[in-house]
Amino acid sequence: MSTMTSRRALLALLCIASPLGAQDTTHAVRIGLTYDPGTKPGVVVLPSKGLGADSIRSIVQRDLDFGDRVSVMALEAGAASDASRANVPNWQMLARLGAAAAVQITSTAAGLHLAVYNVATRQTALIRDFPAPAMSEMRAWRAAVHGLSDELQESITGSRGTARTRVLFERTRRIWVVDSDGEQLASLTESGTAGSPAWHPGGGMITYSLLVPSQIVVQDLSNGRARTLASGNGVFISPVYLPDGSGVVYGHGVDDGVDLFTIALAGGSGRRLSVGRGSDNVQPTFSPDGRRIAFTSGRAGHPEIYTMDADGTNVDLLTPLEFGENAYRASPDWSPDGRSVAFQSRIGGIFQIMTIGLRDRALKQLTSDGQNEEPSWAPDGRHLVFVSNRSGVKQLWVLDVESGRTRQLTRGAAVRNPAWSPRLSSN
Amino acid sequence: MTRWRRLAPLAALGVVGCLASKGDVELLQTNMQSGFKAARDASAQAEAAQRANMDRVLSQISRETDSVRVLSVRLAKLQSDMQNDHYEMGRQLLQIQELTGQSQRRIQELRASLEDRAQSANAATPPDSAHPAPTGPGPGQLFQSSLDQLRRGSTSTARSGFEELLRTYPTYDDAPEAMVYIAETYAAERNQAAADSVYGLVIKQYPKSPKAATALYKQGLSFKAAGRPAAARDAFNRILREFPRSDEAVLAQGQLRALGR
Repeated sequence: MSTMTSRRALLALLCIASPLGAQDTTHAVRIGLTYDPGTKPGVVVLPSKGLGADSIRSIVQRDLDFGDRVSVMALEAGAASDASRANVPNWQMLARLGAAAAVQITSTAAGLHLAVYNVATRQTALIRDFPAPAMSEMRAWRAAVHGLSDELQESITGSRGTARTRVLFERTRRIWVVDSDGEQLASLTESGTAGSPAWHPGGGMITYSLLVPSQIVVQDLSNGRARTLASGNGVFISPVYLPDGSGVVYGHGVDDGVDLFTIALAGGSGRRLSVGRGSDNVQPTFSPDGRRIAFTSGRAGHPEIYTMDADGTNVDLLTPLEFGENAYRASPDWSPDGRSVAFQSRIGGIFQIMTIGLRDRALKQLTSDGQNEEPSWAPDGRHLVFVSNRSGVKQLWVLDVESGRTRQLTRGAAVRNPAWSPRLSSN
Repeated sequence: MTRWRRLAPLAALGVVGCLASKGDVELLQTNMQSGFKAARDASAQAEAAQRANMDRVLSQISRETDSVRVLSVRLAKLQSDMQNDHYEMGRQLLQIQELTGQSQRRIQELRASLEDRAQSANAATPPDSAHPAPTGPGPGQLFQSSLDQLRRGSTSTARSGFEELLRTYPTYDDAPEAMVYIAETYAAERNQAAADSVYGLVIKQYPKSPKAATALYKQGLSFKAAGRPAAARDAFNRILREFPRSDEAVLAQGQLRALGR
């Protein structure tokens, strides 16, 4: 059976089996599945085999759980063994549990072997092999397992997961990176004055600003090599890559206000994009098609979110401005589906995460617990990472905007300015 | 004068000293002592008067200084109040400016919404052959739905909508903007020649509209990307001439600097 056929068969199965799954408050439309609000297909990850079996199983279970699209059915050790005997799933038991699918991963000499079983038809729905390095290369090995999780989620729900992604952030004036599951924390810069990191669309490079001396830096993650892209008099802040990765847009100001400029990766001089006339114009974020930019501007007397064409024309106020109000709306991030922009808004003196629809300008408040700032979308357009002090110290938290479920991503010293990566293939 | 007066007894003493008897000397000494005392008293009086005068002056200066200080504080407060007022007025002006733009957009959306409702109401009422209800979407509806299509990436559908809008309602307020969006649909399809041609139409048909500045700037960028610096320079210079206060003029200045004027 071909992979496509297997996938279709599995999806067809899940259409029927989904009501049996664990109940949840999600309202997501699962591409490839008949829309059935309030349900998530139940999935059992059977005990893995081979080297690092337990680690693989727990990583995949957690990845699927963090994806918020399936209900991972955790079984006790005995039950888990009963669910898979003599290399054959215990169909009766799985059906009794209400599982729509069962998954088995085997560590092989070449990498990882994935088998997905359709519990309703008692058939194998998908077989795939994934190359993976040795477990001793921990980061790359974990990345391979995350890649398997993402493909597994796609095969079940039609929507690819974001397990194989990472999050950049700022802590103690250095740039750090952490896997989307909170593991593999690493510092990417020496101690200094680095801030506002952003990913290259390909995921292989990052850009950030240095405060002293003020400059924009680009850094290759494969070898750690960094170089200054823009520097000189004044301040250089909040860089982001152009959607095609050929350059960077950043904030630059000398005496009077800060404006957005663009510069090619090859170098040269920056070209002005915004005309702030003395106001601060910072934190650019591109629409997915690369034709529009949302940014924070103080041109109305206080920070609001604006949009403009990528060439700097057709500037438009996005957030609703009321006369006389002293609002503070900042840190915009354009959603991957292009339909909304997430941002932080001061409500009753406390920042909260909100979204605004591009079409109807409908506002939606997503947080209310503590102070919540600086949202950044995951590539699935369903999860946001943001900074919150709800635990007492400013940490990164991940929010599923469909269900409202949150999880803490970092611990330790205070953090700021998170940036969720695109889907990563290697590095 | 005073000094001479003080020295006179000494001089007299010198002159008569040689000739005077003992009684004369004693008398002279007595006279001199009383002269000295009178001089000291006069000097003390003069000093006291001077001191009193000085105290009066110092007190006056102190009072004047206090007044100046009070005035200075008042002036600083006045300046600060004026600056605050000025800042607040500027802020309110900026807000009004932003609100004007926002209101225009809201009016556009409202107009589209009203047209939607009117159309629904017409559809619900029985037809009146004497006064037939207008058919088809209104200009606001056409504009809004076409813009939605453009934002969604449906460029050809968006273009059809904007073209219908211009055909049916050629005098619509936002006709220049609709035409810019038609050019944008071509640009999104990477048909730059068609986009440039429509930008040219905007400049020709609506030369006074602010959208003409936008069209000129976009055309200039297109010429620059196509390796036609002279044409690009012309477009940017025209913005500086015809729309010197526009945002596009500021952007065009940067482009001209990069092109080496």
